[in-house]
Amino acid sequence: MAAEAIVRVSEVHKFFRRGSEQIDVLNGLNLGVATGEFLGLMGPSGSGKTTLLNLIAGLDTPSQGDIWVGGERVSRMTEGQLARWRTRHIGFIFQFYHLLPVLTAYENVELPLLLLPMTAAQRKQQVMTALELVGLSDRLKHRPGQLSGGQQQRVGIARAIVTDPTLIVADEPTGDLDARSAEEILHLMALLQKDLKKTIIMVTHDPRAAKRAQRILHLEKGKLVTDGAPSDAVLSHP
Amino acid sequence: MQYFLTLERFLRFLKQNPQYGPPMIAGSAGVLLVLVFVGYWFHKYWYLLLKSLTRNLLRTGLSALAVFVLAIVVTLVWTILVVLDVVMTEKAKDFKAIVTERWQVPSRMPIAYAPSLKEGAASKPGDLKPDDNMSWQFYGGTLDPEKRTWENTLFFFAMEADKIIPMMDDLENLNPVYVKRLMENKQGAILGRERLKRLNKGIGDRFTVVSMSHKGIDLEFEIVGEFPAGRYDSSAVMNGNYLVDAMDAYPTTHNGAKHPMADKSLGLVWFKVPDSDAFSKVAEQIMSSSLYTSPAVKVETASSGIASFLEPYKDLLWGLKWLLVPALLVTMALIVANAISISVRERRTEMAVLKVIGFTPGRILGLVLGEAFLVGGASGLLSAAVLYGAIHVGMGGFPFQIAFFPKFDIYVDSLWWGFLFGTITSLAGSIVPAWSARTIKVSEVFAKVA
Repeated sequence: MAAEAIVRVSEVHKFFRRGSEQIDVLNGLNLGVATGEFLGLMGPSGSGKTTLLNLIAGLDTPSQGDIWVGGERVSRMTEGQLARWRTRHIGFIFQFYHLLPVLTAYENVELPLLLLPMTAAQRKQQVMTALELVGLSDRLKHRPGQLSGGQQQRVGIARAIVTDPTLIVADEPTGDLDARSAEEILHLMALLQKDLKKTIIMVTHDPRAAKRAQRILHLEKGKLVTDGAPSDAVLSHP
Repeated sequence: MQYFLTLERFLRFLKQNPQYGPPMIAGSAGVLLVLVFVGYWFHKYWYLLLKSLTRNLLRTGLSALAVFVLAIVVTLVWTILVVLDVVMTEKAKDFKAIVTERWQVPSRMPIAYAPSLKEGAASKPGDLKPDDNMSWQFYGGTLDPEKRTWENTLFFFAMEADKIIPMMDDLENLNPVYVKRLMENKQGAILGRERLKRLNKGIGDRFTVVSMSHKGIDLEFEIVGEFPAGRYDSSAVMNGNYLVDAMDAYPTTHNGAKHPMADKSLGLVWFKVPDSDAFSKVAEQIMSSSLYTSPAVKVETASSGIASFLEPYKDLLWGLKWLLVPALLVTMALIVANAISISVRERRTEMAVLKVIGFTPGRILGLVLGEAFLVGGASGLLSAAVLYGAIHVGMGGFPFQIAFFPKFDIYVDSLWWGFLFGTITSLAGSIVPAWSARTIKVSEVFAKVA
């Protein structure tokens, strides 16, 4: 798997300081994610799963160790380099959607493309493709406040995939949705992985969501405790 | 502060040199086109900024209104300061100098001084003569001696009619027909608009002034013209020869006795020289001449002469420049700082999302500064435009009596002053909140959200 890995996490430590106290969030973590894989990250609160996700997505840098994504060593990039890298390589799906309330669905999806050298026509084509993919081509001019939670999350997914990123990361994407909407979103994410061969890393507490993943990692106190297919044993790990 | 009238000077230059008009217009259109193109290139960012500003219309509106009002006040005060600074600053060329009585205010010199002073007291070969000159006498009185009021009181500058346009500032737009009439009609008078209004008179009307400055010399006048709106709205000019002739005729009706003002009717003499060296030379000629001993005279540059007149206002002007204007600018900056700080604090998550999407810290900084730029720049420009329209076009200047400046006009440069005041204060006020937005830690923001 290492040879095909699109994400490689090597001996990663992450600690924070609170006064004189050092809090170790990740302790020498090693991980590989293959291209096109759908990976679920599970674990109790404070286990370090969101921190790991942030490190892989280039939102934070490790205290020690290295992270490689798509052949690029993101752990050594500056903040500006990371921002530019994220535009092209990372699609982020948030728990609370985080759409800009003053923009329409179309404009929210278009936002990442404004950072890329594209013509208006090219942007329009990609936005329309993304919105059609998530089934919202009839809600282009709706603002987030005029959409349901499920629809907002679908706009969030469209925004995450519109740049055709190397990796999609999702932090509790169904955490704020009712069961039906959650199912729709998970179905959509599964489609992204199957049909578009997207690599997805998803943090979740929800065993139903985790079942959609091909592989589940359990973290506890900053360490990997289980790594395997989403069997009942893995999903029910305390 | 001279640079604050760059646009006004440029427009005057174009007016005097119309041959440069077409290439200048073409050049300006080119620059405008480039700006429009650049603006369009970034139109999505402008749109994003505008959208952000519409998030809380009340707050944006109130901030813009505050900047608008303060920019108006700053522009008004700045206009006064710039105008006074301009008149008190020496010109490198076309030096103007003023000769007055040395030891007395108001200056009262014999009219006999005038011819030689106007020649710069040049008497020997090699002496320098001024390029141009004029003399001023002051004549004042009332139209109704029975019931003297402010409205029917009138003071004239009595001068050589042909020197009005070349020697007096800001009268390039005076209708030359009026000057011609004044030269041809000894009883002619040119009055400012406000003065005419106060007297309830118009061009062609006649009236008699019962003198207060020259007792017994009551003169009849015919209004032959009016000054263009602005600086001379309250002024009145008469033909100097009319007063001289009346003074000369006085003894014939008064048993040969000279009028008491006969030897002290000349208020001042202006002359123009090419540069400061020429000024020094002519001043030396006058000061060393034996013609002007009783009373003695002094020679000053026009700007230092005006500065002497403005001496009593020194503290007021200092306060305007160094207390009021900075206080207003700081207030503007604080208002914008407050609004932008609140906005950034409310939108920390949104800023973090933008960072996740790929906005670099620099772009985030640019977005926040851009919002401030839009609010400040637009409000400042709008306030200046409203001010220029209302005061320059509508009123022909705003009344604010300082020394002999009854009114101050708003220059076309106020348009960029307003924009500049609004923009700079807004950017200054938003630097701290913009920097705080720039340094938002995404992981920390989302940790708190979760």
